[in-house]
Amino acid sequence: MAMKQERGSGAPDPAPHVPAPGVLEPDVWYFGVRLADGRYAFAAPLVTEVVRLGPLTRLPSAPAFLPGVFTHRGEILPVLDLGELLLRRAVSLRPGTRAAIVHAEPWRVAVVAEEIEGLLRVPRRRIGPPPAAQAAGDFLQAVVPDDLGDIAVIDLPRLVAAARARSIAP
Amino acid sequence: MSGSSQLVLFQLGARVFAAKAADVRRIATSLLERAEDGVFESALGSPWDPRRGLVVEVAGEERVLLVDGVLGLRVVPDADLCGLPAFAREVLPTSALRGFAMLDEVATLVIDLPTLVKEGLPAQAAVPREENPRHA
Repeated sequence: MAMKQERGSGAPDPAPHVPAPGVLEPDVWYFGVRLADGRYAFAAPLVTEVVRLGPLTRLPSAPAFLPGVFTHRGEILPVLDLGELLLRRAVSLRPGTRAAIVHAEPWRVAVVAEEIEGLLRVPRRRIGPPPAAQAAGDFLQAVVPDDLGDIAVIDLPRLVAAARARSIAP
Repeated sequence: MSGSSQLVLFQLGARVFAAKAADVRRIATSLLERAEDGVFESALGSPWDPRRGLVVEVAGEERVLLVDGVLGLRVVPDADLCGLPAFAREVLPTSALRGFAMLDEVATLVIDLPTLVKEGLPAQAAVPREENPRHA
């Protein structure tokens, strides 16, 4: 199956940006998470809420990036392991692990990472293009430096769509 | 008025699953019956100690899913049943996971037994065996 090439909704254009003189550029909001090797973020408008992960129901024969499902306000949501999706390294799920519920169109899923940083407000001028080689590879949209280091901005909907495509490929 | 469904609960390995009771013809207890047509390995895994079998019909033949135990029947309101999330349904390699039943506030997987057994059968085992006296 062909992979979707368009960028995810709500994601900023990663191309270097030169504002028009005298025009105030709005800041960009990202949602930050931590994984073993660093800091990642994706477009904040994708996130509808952050919740404590309830009891997980494991799905037999599921791919590694889908550790299970959990019930949230009567809705059963698939849980996606961002560590597996990006680094092939599973996040250790503990009682109280927080999950971000996101709309990765057309799916509504819960995303888990080692740690959730939450909302990050970034001046648009600080958003830089991705380096040539990075762990997030094809899904890296941009890099944002801040006081704690670089944040890799990923195209989450495209990452989820690619994982799905890999799973259903014959 | 909303309806309800009767589910049979069974244990396979460390986990408890549910299936529509209407899909189960009977519960096999004899060693002979379980050994003849038993499906040991399935998308749910393998039983640790297959003391029981769930007899289902697949393509007009009786087949047996070997399980560790049968825990009983539960009548569940349809409001407590729900399907698999679309994303999970698409990425799972099996079609035998029907959805969930909320049992004592725990989401318990509801299994489509005929599909599970069919997927677990070797290709040659799906055809009737004339030498088997049970099919004579």
